[in-house]
Amino acid sequence: MKKITDVKEAGLAAIEQSTDLNQLTQVRNEYLSKKGLVAGLMSEMKDLDASLRPAFGALVNNCKEELELALKEKQEVLQAVALQEKMAKDWIDVTLPSTKFPVANLHPLTLVQQEIEDIFRSMGYQVVEGPEVDLDLYNFERANIPADHPARDMQDTFYIDSQWLLRTHTTAIQTRTLEKSAQSLPIKVVCPGKVYRRDDDDATHSHQFTQIEGLVVGENITLADLKGTLQLLAKSMFGEDRIIRFRPSYFQFTEPSVEVDVSCHICNGAGCNVCKGSGWIEILGAGMVHPHVLDMAGIDGIRYTGFAFGLGVERVAMLKYGIDDIRHCYINDARFLSLFKRFE
Amino acid sequence: MKVSKKWLNDYVSIADISSSILAERLTIAGLEVEGIDSLACKADLVVGEVLTCERHPDSDHLSVTTVNLGDRVEQIVCGAPNVDKGQKVIVAPIGTALPKLTIKKAVVRGVESSGMICSLNELGVDEKFLSPNSGEGIEVLGDDAIVGQDPLVYLGLDDDVLDVKQTPNRADFNALWNVAKEVGAIFNREVKWPDCECAASMGKKSQLQVSSTTVGCSLFLGKVINKLTVKESPRWLKERLMAGGVKPINNVVDISNFVMMETGQPLHFYDLAKMSVQEITVMDQRPGKLVALDENEYELLASDLVITSANKVIGIAGVMGGDDSKIDESTTGIIIEAASFSPVSIRNTSRRLDLITEAASRFTKGIEPLAPFKAMDRAIQLLIELADADDIEETVQFGDVNHVNKEVAVTLSHVNGLLGTSLSMEEVVDALARLHLSPVVDGDVITTTIPSFRTDLLIAQDLIEEVIRMVGYEKIVATLPMMPQTIGVLDDKQKVRRLIQRILISLGLQEVVSYTLIKESMLDGVLAMADPIALASPLSEDRKFVRNNLSHSVLEVVAYNQAHKNENFNIFELSQVYGKVGSQWRLSLALCGELLGNPWSKQTIKADFYAMKGLLETLFSQLGFEGTRLRLQRNQLDHQNFHPYRSAVMLLGKEVLAIFGDVHPSLAKVRGIKNVVLAEVQLDVLLAQSPAKIKFTAVNKYPKVVRDVALVADVKLEVEVLVAAINKAGKPLVQSIEVFDIFTSEELGVDKKSVALTIAYQAKEHTLTEEEVSMVHTKILENLAKAGAVLR
Repeated sequence: MKKITDVKEAGLAAIEQSTDLNQLTQVRNEYLSKKGLVAGLMSEMKDLDASLRPAFGALVNNCKEELELALKEKQEVLQAVALQEKMAKDWIDVTLPSTKFPVANLHPLTLVQQEIEDIFRSMGYQVVEGPEVDLDLYNFERANIPADHPARDMQDTFYIDSQWLLRTHTTAIQTRTLEKSAQSLPIKVVCPGKVYRRDDDDATHSHQFTQIEGLVVGENITLADLKGTLQLLAKSMFGEDRIIRFRPSYFQFTEPSVEVDVSCHICNGAGCNVCKGSGWIEILGAGMVHPHVLDMAGIDGIRYTGFAFGLGVERVAMLKYGIDDIRHCYINDARFLSLFKRFE
Repeated sequence: MKVSKKWLNDYVSIADISSSILAERLTIAGLEVEGIDSLACKADLVVGEVLTCERHPDSDHLSVTTVNLGDRVEQIVCGAPNVDKGQKVIVAPIGTALPKLTIKKAVVRGVESSGMICSLNELGVDEKFLSPNSGEGIEVLGDDAIVGQDPLVYLGLDDDVLDVKQTPNRADFNALWNVAKEVGAIFNREVKWPDCECAASMGKKSQLQVSSTTVGCSLFLGKVINKLTVKESPRWLKERLMAGGVKPINNVVDISNFVMMETGQPLHFYDLAKMSVQEITVMDQRPGKLVALDENEYELLASDLVITSANKVIGIAGVMGGDDSKIDESTTGIIIEAASFSPVSIRNTSRRLDLITEAASRFTKGIEPLAPFKAMDRAIQLLIELADADDIEETVQFGDVNHVNKEVAVTLSHVNGLLGTSLSMEEVVDALARLHLSPVVDGDVITTTIPSFRTDLLIAQDLIEEVIRMVGYEKIVATLPMMPQTIGVLDDKQKVRRLIQRILISLGLQEVVSYTLIKESMLDGVLAMADPIALASPLSEDRKFVRNNLSHSVLEVVAYNQAHKNENFNIFELSQVYGKVGSQWRLSLALCGELLGNPWSKQTIKADFYAMKGLLETLFSQLGFEGTRLRLQRNQLDHQNFHPYRSAVMLLGKEVLAIFGDVHPSLAKVRGIKNVVLAEVQLDVLLAQSPAKIKFTAVNKYPKVVRDVALVADVKLEVEVLVAAINKAGKPLVQSIEVFDIFTSEELGVDKKSVALTIAYQAKEHTLTEEEVSMVHTKILENLAKAGAVLR
């Protein structure tokens, strides 16, 4: 019996004295393997009197269990130490520069265009496009711009020949839409696209720019509906606090025609550089579709009315982001473009 | 257009309305005021009398004066050479803020000075209104100036000029009379006219003959005044002209300008003595040269309207008179011209000659039909009053206007129906009456009579606009259209374009937007459309063609950025391109530098052919096109833009979807770019086909068996051949093949390469046995050997 206690004590001491996992394995082999000391004790049982065997067996088992438990505990301790040592060797300099993931973004004109498209889509408008090389018919005649109108001058419009030109406004998409949908009213569309004017490029002029126009035609469409619609646009684009005002204006395509001012989003109407002290920023042209325009498209201008509006995507982008020169939009300098990578 | 507040006040009383409120109300009513200019700075100036003027004890050029300001006498040191005792002068007392300085009590070389004696220049008066010698020193006022009063009132410089933007339909605002009518309507005030009606109807029998041989002149009024006196204009007339931005010259010339601004009708005065015969004919088809009264020579075309006398061209009709017959100090008699010329013709001539005169711009915008008669009356009245006009002949007339005032009707229900308002009949009638449209009500119908100056009012909608202008747009209560509900969706093509943008930016490619118009040398880009479209009148050679390919535009963006050292710039553009046959949607990509990088850890994705290939495969796969639907071929289509040995064509079905690869070294050199990988994608090819649909397939639960093979093959044997050989023999167990190593070495031999592949086997219905795999693997190795690749 004493021998069992001795083996146990010696074993526990050996476990305790182990300083690494190898030593511990040796101790395990020495005591707990098939030919180990504990197994040796067990083999002595057969030489004992049968009445003593159960107590002896219980003692040996207890010795084995205690050793196993101690081994396990020691192993966990030593493993934790070993892991710590290994990790310490895996030290890195966390201040080294990172691996750069590629980041890129949409062009600011695309951002603004899609934002406006999406505002109107949420109100049930379809997005309709058209050709940039278009007929004089759709660009001018159907837009109620007669033959001797100054806008049709070679000085202002990029003509290709007597019939074809680069569209000068997205109104060309509207006149095509009116013709196409004359028999399937109502119409509720926004028409985005590139347009061209024969202007020399400078900080505020560009021979190419982007417009978005909207068109709603149906029964009982009113100027008040136009006001409500553009009020929503202004709030979505420039903030909940924005209000709009209509000022009389003149466009061939509409009668009555209005300029639409939005209260300045920088100074909230108090007057600042951006709104030139007026508190208002001119953003849209709009009006009720001219009855001649409806007539020419084959739509009954007595039964149906409609409103139309248009805005310049560059102008909105310039106001929204404070861009000071329209040419930035077309030079595509990486440093300029990457300004728009943030989600806003 | 410049609108002087004082001048406006001659017709409608507005002196009690501040300039800013006037501007605000005009803007809201459609006459947008873009700015308010004061003729001189607004400051507390007083008229002073120089009582004494002595030399400064310590200076050659300074004087020490005492000046009576009415309520006090101040000592002022003055540097102007022309200051003298007894003069009435403009004094800025202490505390006055002038445009460039604020006056403070000062000690000038030991002498105290309390104020400043001013020149007009120092008051911010525009240079062009200064007389030649007024720049030299202080402004000396007349003896009638009253000490202690405001010198700006004395000088007529106490005026604000509104800079008003006209809309093209309101040409009538070229006449200040009509602006006054509008202001009267807005403020609901009475408008008064100078009494000059029929002033021109008198006169003795005339020898003058006027006519026109061109449709470009429909009316010509001529009138001879045999006697008049050219002299300086009275102060009020000069003030009006200056406020309108026109420099006063002499009474006769000033009257013609004044009447033009007042009535909108340009007049021309010919010196009677300089006309060889009293005959004037308007013509076209008279090409040649003319020296105009600005003393420049102009080249005239056959299409230009000209004024002739005795078959000699003496003026460019509606634009500028000739030098030969102009008014000067010696003029003692004149012929007056008041005519109607074609706006289109005048516009073409003045724009071509870059001679946008006040007259030409008015003719171009359009003038009311009765203006020549009104202007003639007013001119005669003023010439009699201010130029002693006498011995006046009757007015001779070519053509006629036969103007009848039109009637336009509108119903109250139409007004409210279009505006979405509930205005009363009284409100509508009041608005129309204020605008002098004489509304007459019959039930729901309102009939108006349109005066001659409102040529813009033609239909009911025009009247509705007039009503809401007067009532105010702020009265409209915002609503939304009552329509059947629709869902705002993008069509399939729009969706795909947005997807492409989203996918590519998420892969690190920056979107760019470049100009549609390109130069001739950019027409031969990748997959360029045939028959490019040229502009009839381009602004420059650089922007002469509508682009027929996108790749050259994208390369231009690369060149700019490389020149500016913007490195690792990877871009795409999505745009339509055009040829005479129509348009196509294109996508072009350019990679240069690295897509992902960390230099110190050597983890980089180089922007090379394989990166572009991977980008395109990822893009198309996400759009639903992958696997066997896409095929790759060596590029045999374009060896001009691409490196012939480092580029490929991607086919979708039988159509060319894209060409991509390294930019041809010669092109790179010409464009000044380096290390660029380019792609041009024909999106219409993709849009024409249906993408694969997402469909559930059961996940394979049986284990994969993986075998590596290292092969030696000819260096130019394409890996695709090996892959095909493996697939052919390995069907259906080969699940994937991956190339994990490629190298060449001396040991392998010249023109040989080693290709190492991992082949993964997997069955759908059971766990593969070693025997099954080995059998297939052996067959694969045989097939590879036949294809020219043997085990290393």
